[in-house]
Amino acid sequence: MTLNTLTKGMRGRIDRLPTGDIRSQFIRLGLVEGAVVFCLEKLPGGTIVLEFSRQEVALSGDLARSITITQP
Amino acid sequence: MEHTSDTKIEHKPHKHLRTDALPVNPLKAKVVLVGNPNVGKSVVFNYLSGLYVDVSNFPGTTVEVSKAAYLHYDLYDTPGIYGVSSFNDEERVARDIILNGDVILNIVDAVHLERDLFLTQQLIDMGKRVGLIVNMLDEARRQTISVDLKRLEEEMGIPVIGTVAVKKQGLEEIHQLVSRACEGRQNKALHAELHEMLAVVGSQAEALMVLEGDGIVAARHGIAPADHSRREEIYIDRRNRVNRILQSAITDVQTGRRVASVLGRWSVSPIFGFPILALVLYALYYFVGVFVAQDVVEFTEGRIGREIVEFNIKASVAQHAATTVDVDVFNYAGDVLENRSFRFDNGLSADPVLWNEVRKFADGESAEFMFNYDNVWLVLFFGEFGAITMTLTYLVFLLLPLVLGFYFALSVLEDSGYLPRLATLVDRFLRVIGLNGRAVIPIILGFGCVTMATITTRLLGTQREKTIATTILQLAIPCSAQLGVIAALLATAGAAATLIYTFVILSFLISVGTVMNRSLPGETSPLLIDLPMMRLPQLNNVIKKTSYKTWFFMKEASPWFFIGALTVGILQVTNALEHIMDAMEPLVVQWLQLPREAATAFVMGLVRRDFGAAGLYQLNLDPFQTVAALVTITLFVPCVASLMVMLKERGIKEGALIWVGSLVLAMTVGGLVSQILI
Repeated sequence: MTLNTLTKGMRGRIDRLPTGDIRSQFIRLGLVEGAVVFCLEKLPGGTIVLEFSRQEVALSGDLARSITITQP
Repeated sequence: MEHTSDTKIEHKPHKHLRTDALPVNPLKAKVVLVGNPNVGKSVVFNYLSGLYVDVSNFPGTTVEVSKAAYLHYDLYDTPGIYGVSSFNDEERVARDIILNGDVILNIVDAVHLERDLFLTQQLIDMGKRVGLIVNMLDEARRQTISVDLKRLEEEMGIPVIGTVAVKKQGLEEIHQLVSRACEGRQNKALHAELHEMLAVVGSQAEALMVLEGDGIVAARHGIAPADHSRREEIYIDRRNRVNRILQSAITDVQTGRRVASVLGRWSVSPIFGFPILALVLYALYYFVGVFVAQDVVEFTEGRIGREIVEFNIKASVAQHAATTVDVDVFNYAGDVLENRSFRFDNGLSADPVLWNEVRKFADGESAEFMFNYDNVWLVLFFGEFGAITMTLTYLVFLLLPLVLGFYFALSVLEDSGYLPRLATLVDRFLRVIGLNGRAVIPIILGFGCVTMATITTRLLGTQREKTIATTILQLAIPCSAQLGVIAALLATAGAAATLIYTFVILSFLISVGTVMNRSLPGETSPLLIDLPMMRLPQLNNVIKKTSYKTWFFMKEASPWFFIGALTVGILQVTNALEHIMDAMEPLVVQWLQLPREAATAFVMGLVRRDFGAAGLYQLNLDPFQTVAALVTITLFVPCVASLMVMLKERGIKEGALIWVGSLVLAMTVGGLVSQILI
């Protein structure tokens, strides 16, 4: 299951983040493997708005597709 | 040197090379403000900096850096960053300022400590002297989060103060914080590793950058950076440490949920998001495109600039120089009623009677004065396209109000927290043309003034995106001045013509973007954007931001405007302008199937984009000719000002390529439209 399959109001636990620079950026924001995210909003075209540790973060659809999640 | 366990280190201050103690001359100590985006850094900077702020480009980049005098220190502001590294231009600039800084004031958002303390811990690991400002305590209280500042101080080993910067609460404590700032508790194993590198790298901070895989810092010392996996180890370690600290320092009743404003949520919802976007765009267009670009500029440029300032300068120059004064008198509709020429062989002062006659001829009517000097140099500097008079009018009376209006609107949007939401909403659409959501700002601003918009392409993440956005702006986005003329011409040409014009320009914009997206190396950077809380912008902060950004723009752009005006002046004096028009004639008449006078309109578009479009008024074109002419002129050369700014921002080579490309494409597409339609 990947992050882009989450729909509004669903939760997911981050299982695997993509590698490279973007991975470091996720870690800095506090989005690490094992973190539970809540899907606040899903926009047409796949852009997704997540909530975790009182933050709201938006990701483009292709980025969400590269993150695997599990049921929390 | 002593290292104890990670969680409870007793870190004794000790000497490092170059990083800790104040430099020999304390007068030159650098205090650097560091923080994530939207944590209130600019409010703190404004509080500490007083009136005089020096904004400049960081050497070799287009990132703006503010510097000010504060007590006996040099105070630096840095771009908002999530960590010290080199993922984009802003981070690279911030990294270098931090590396050179003596005292770091780190501002964090009390509501988002999980995110923000990562940077804090990284600064501590660099071995920097750090003071921590926990801002937005009121918001944290509102969200029932309580932050134990004492505990944070103990855990991190650095002095901590709490503030509500927008209400000026607690800010006076910063003065003490600067002198109390010290090295904090570092990761013990990491610290030892960094010290072993000191012989090669020189400072602990730089050693950390090398270990975290920063190729640029490593190259400065002629060594290879550590690989990615080492950085990830350090990052995960640091992340865990921050989370551990916060477990004891934060009590959060609502665990993890955020109290957000309805507006913030709605503005990224698929149902309400787009209507809100439309409303914001309309408000923006109305304020900048109609109110400032038309009403205000008409007064400042038309009345003050041309009729008072330019007239008086030209008349004083003509006092002792041989001049022919042409006067056009207009009626209310703007048609020329009467035209007369007055000859002053020995300057205006030699013939006060005739000068009186000139004034009487134009008295009480709207009139335009043309001073045609005999002397070529006077023509070059004070004539129709005089480098001095044109630059002055252009800069002070046309651009200054526009730029002020733009930066004001941008600052309001920026401080309200709406911009990242806008980027989120349109990301998918901009991705098609190789841009990410952030590019929406320069593109919208382009409909106001392409010159300004070209400058704001700076906020895009990669060079690739800057190139694509600049090209699209220069090619396919008509500025407000031009848009007014286009709208008027299309209104006469009818609905079919309007549809065809819109379709051609839009499909052209998308094609160019798509082609560039496919052909330029690299790929669009993915959107990963933090949505800050929506809040009411602080007026004084907005005004301060607007004024120093405007000052910075004027300082940067002025010489280029002068050079642009001088170039046009030289073309005119040497008759080159005429030759260009003659050379273009076959292209205009045969290929575009327009009257030969249209060539003048195109070339005049170089001086100012709206002059070009305005020249088409008098040609009595049929609807299809109008479409062909408008397509050509929209895609054609941008005005001299935007061309100059583009050359500056994108470099001579790339800028020239975009410029020549736009000339060729304008002619090609305009001609094709004409050949198909007519």
